[in-house]
Amino acid sequence: MSQVTIYSTPTCVYCKAAKEYFEKNNVAYTEHNVAEDEKALQEMQDKSGQFGVPVIDINGTIIVGFDQGAIDKALAK
Amino acid sequence: MYDLIIIGGGPSGVAAGVYAARKQIKTALITESFGGQSYVSADIQNWIGTKSISGLDLAKTFEEHLRAQEGIEIIAGDKVEKIEDNGESFTLTTKNGQTLESKYLLICTGSHRRRLNIPGEAEHEGRGVVYCSICDAPLFKNKEVAVIGGGNAGLEAVVDLLPYATKITLIIRSDTMKGDAITQEKIKADPKVEIMYQVDTKEVLGEKFVSGIKYLDKKDNQEKELAVQGVFVEIGAVPNSDIVQGLVNINERKEIVVDHKTEQTSHPRIWAVGDVSDVLYKQNNISAGDAVKAVLNIYDRIVKGEKKS
Repeated sequence: MSQVTIYSTPTCVYCKAAKEYFEKNNVAYTEHNVAEDEKALQEMQDKSGQFGVPVIDINGTIIVGFDQGAIDKALAK
Repeated sequence: MYDLIIIGGGPSGVAAGVYAARKQIKTALITESFGGQSYVSADIQNWIGTKSISGLDLAKTFEEHLRAQEGIEIIAGDKVEKIEDNGESFTLTTKNGQTLESKYLLICTGSHRRRLNIPGEAEHEGRGVVYCSICDAPLFKNKEVAVIGGGNAGLEAVVDLLPYATKITLIIRSDTMKGDAITQEKIKADPKVEIMYQVDTKEVLGEKFVSGIKYLDKKDNQEKELAVQGVFVEIGAVPNSDIVQGLVNINERKEIVVDHKTEQTSHPRIWAVGDVSDVLYKQNNISAGDAVKAVLNIYDRIVKGEKKS
């Protein structure tokens, strides 16, 4: 089973779309709201080298933005 | 061989798809995603028949409405990369390597956000340079930021940032602010907001992350620097017309020139609607309506063409 983490803000539509995509495909995920959680924000920056949201971590594969193709590929690994 | 291929899944592409299916035109629609540029809007209040809807939900209703039609081929998650004109038909090649043929084309590719195209901008995208203010504004809590652009989008970015940033400098190239009067009043009254007129942004500064901008103050013709950690770019849109470059007339704003009665381009087998066209007002409702016009005109052409043969 894939270890999925999403770093998001409450206002970000692409984050919402990504989460809905996970739910539709029965993928469990952990969410960090980086607008509130500064530790998670730092973690997200360290992982992705940038601070645009969403950042998605699937078993160590880092995806910036809601890239369905990249998500499918990382989940299939 | 299709009679019609629609490229795009915004309001124009989807409206065209629904009408083409109902007219039983042999059609395929190719799009990367549904919803168009309103996708990121938190609240759309002018889509006729709907008091209030988010861009994400609007995109879902578009997709649902289109998928409810029978007989239309929908290719989502793919992108047309090449169009070849064979004289009687077109051959389209997609990013995923599909090849499709069609007699007629309807271009509904919309537009994308304009970039400043200055040094330091591309290197700092996601590292302080932001193109989706509603997405990333909360990440600039207790930071100083610049918003570039004096139109509605610029003003709205300032509003998105008000709850978070400590100081917001709104940078406007001309000597006047455009955009809604209510929003103008709101941001002019806020002590956190400073407005600079007649300023050209020249460079985004910073090592790994943005540390400031260099700009030309046209009032005294001096180059100056402003220390900021975020640069929000809101300077309009560029039509996605590259795909038909060389096939149709495109104006200096990169819009496809169309006959506004029929939506036909300078090419007898290509039509274009919505933000990629030279329509005067770029609006969801107009894009949908113009797409209907185009499909009905294409339908007339198919019927007439068949009568001839």
